[in-house]
Amino acid sequence: MQQILKPVKRFFRKYGVAYAFIAVPVISMLLFIFIPMAISFYWSLCDFSGIQAPRFIGLDNYIKLFTVDKIFIQALKNTLLFVVLSMFIGPTLGLLTALMLNQKVRFQGLFRTAYFLPVMTSMVVVSTIWKMLYNQNGIFNTVLTNIGLSPVNWLSDPDMALISVVIASVWQGFGFETVIFLAALQSIPKELYEAADIDGANGINKFFSVTLPSLRSVITFVYIYGLIGSFQTFDQMYVMTKGGPVYRTTTIVLYLFDKFQDLRLGYASAIAYVLFFILVILSFIQWRLPGSKSTEA
Amino acid sequence: MRKIQKITGRTILYIVLIVTSLIMFVPFYWAITSSIKMEQFIFASPPQWWPSPITFKNYLGMLQRVPGFPRYFLNSVLIAGAITLAHVFFDTLAAYAFAKLKFPGRDAIFFMMLLGLMIPFQVNMIPIYRILSSLKMVDTYAALIVPNMTSIFGIFLMRQFLISIPNDLLDAARIDGCDELGVFARVIFPLTLPGLATLIVFIFMNAWNDFLWPRIVLNSDKMLTLPVGLAQLQLKNTSNEAQIMAGTVLTMLPMILVYLFMQKQFIEGMTSGAVKG
Repeated sequence: MQQILKPVKRFFRKYGVAYAFIAVPVISMLLFIFIPMAISFYWSLCDFSGIQAPRFIGLDNYIKLFTVDKIFIQALKNTLLFVVLSMFIGPTLGLLTALMLNQKVRFQGLFRTAYFLPVMTSMVVVSTIWKMLYNQNGIFNTVLTNIGLSPVNWLSDPDMALISVVIASVWQGFGFETVIFLAALQSIPKELYEAADIDGANGINKFFSVTLPSLRSVITFVYIYGLIGSFQTFDQMYVMTKGGPVYRTTTIVLYLFDKFQDLRLGYASAIAYVLFFILVILSFIQWRLPGSKSTEA
Repeated sequence: MRKIQKITGRTILYIVLIVTSLIMFVPFYWAITSSIKMEQFIFASPPQWWPSPITFKNYLGMLQRVPGFPRYFLNSVLIAGAITLAHVFFDTLAAYAFAKLKFPGRDAIFFMMLLGLMIPFQVNMIPIYRILSSLKMVDTYAALIVPNMTSIFGIFLMRQFLISIPNDLLDAARIDGCDELGVFARVIFPLTLPGLATLIVFIFMNAWNDFLWPRIVLNSDKMLTLPVGLAQLQLKNTSNEAQIMAGTVLTMLPMILVYLFMQKQFIEGMTSGAVKG
């Protein structure tokens, strides 16, 4: 007995502390990430209401999602449109404002605070405020009618609602990109610009030959982080539109939430897995993208 | 000629900066002023840019209609506080193990964590809810705190800070007779304070603003956090925008105050992941 215990004891004396230090995160990771992930994959192949035991039905949920369920297809389209619009506008605004703030501006901190303030405000708060601004009789429409234009049905026009939500979301989020781009701009070595000056480059030349290449890894980060986040959009729609009008602002996660509330847990799990597969494919594309290695340093 | 060009350039730059800053500011301004307007002037045309008369009736009315509101505040403070404390403790310890200790399986476990980082919470949400509900833990503080005591992101963040601490320093402490916990408390902890500030700000903000999970796992009025309470408030009285704005201002104020006092940590917390890589 002693013989067997000795190496075990020595092992724990040597490594016990390290295992103790990582114990809670590892257990937590198993309990709250990997095990639930396996369970929900199984449920996604089941008819499961949460009351009776799950009944295995193979790929039926997935087939139904992509063939019969028009609302889910709409939710996919909405989410994709939301992602494309906000990922196009947000980082562009972020870069432009960061470039402006980088021009040795006075009160730089003050401007940065203005852009960043909404970033740390909860999305629920931001959405509540914008819902009031977008009100039929809200400030936007009052100003429009006072200067002689016709009011806009910001959140009730099916063709406008998603754009309105995008505007509010970009307003909330682009300050994050401003701050990140500004920090990255400030870390570009001055010598690079001096060398470009000697070569006789003008402002636009310098932007494309020095600034943009230096920002490459940060741009990749901003897009990956932003894509993952905006594919999971939920709060804005929940507060501002509840997915309407006519499901035109229903996102993948909002639809998942609805199905969860309806106790269609198998179906909801399948929706979660579709979202997961989309993110996996995106990560894979990013990983294979030329130049993405620089982000790992 | 060049000078004139330069001056006009600067002027345009400042005008654009000021206008965009105003765009950022106006919604906040409008929310705050609306909360102290008479209700009938909220949608007045032409708009009432400055509230007159100023009234705090909306705050009283909101608190009367939603007597639980102070309780939401307390819940948010307790939950976000507990989550942050847990992260500081567990993330830092684990990060230390990954950065400075050698043990069998370290790289494999680290790789698993990298994989775990890719899995969106929505995939795990429903099983976690079912597990918690079978343990009778739904609608408790624990339902929010227990699944969120540590995060892979936090461990990675702290690992970045810890890796830069020279090993010689740790060895010196060990020779002086410190055990691993002592090394951690006497050497690592003081040196990672800037990293910790970043972690605290980041985790606290996410916990404070979190919505989907609290919305799912909390039911009874006395358990709600501020964002969930605010969303529920809108269901309760859709008509009274003035009261809703009073609730909105009370919900956002604490975070804005914290931000104004800890701006540096906020900015660093947000950028450290991106710029340092």
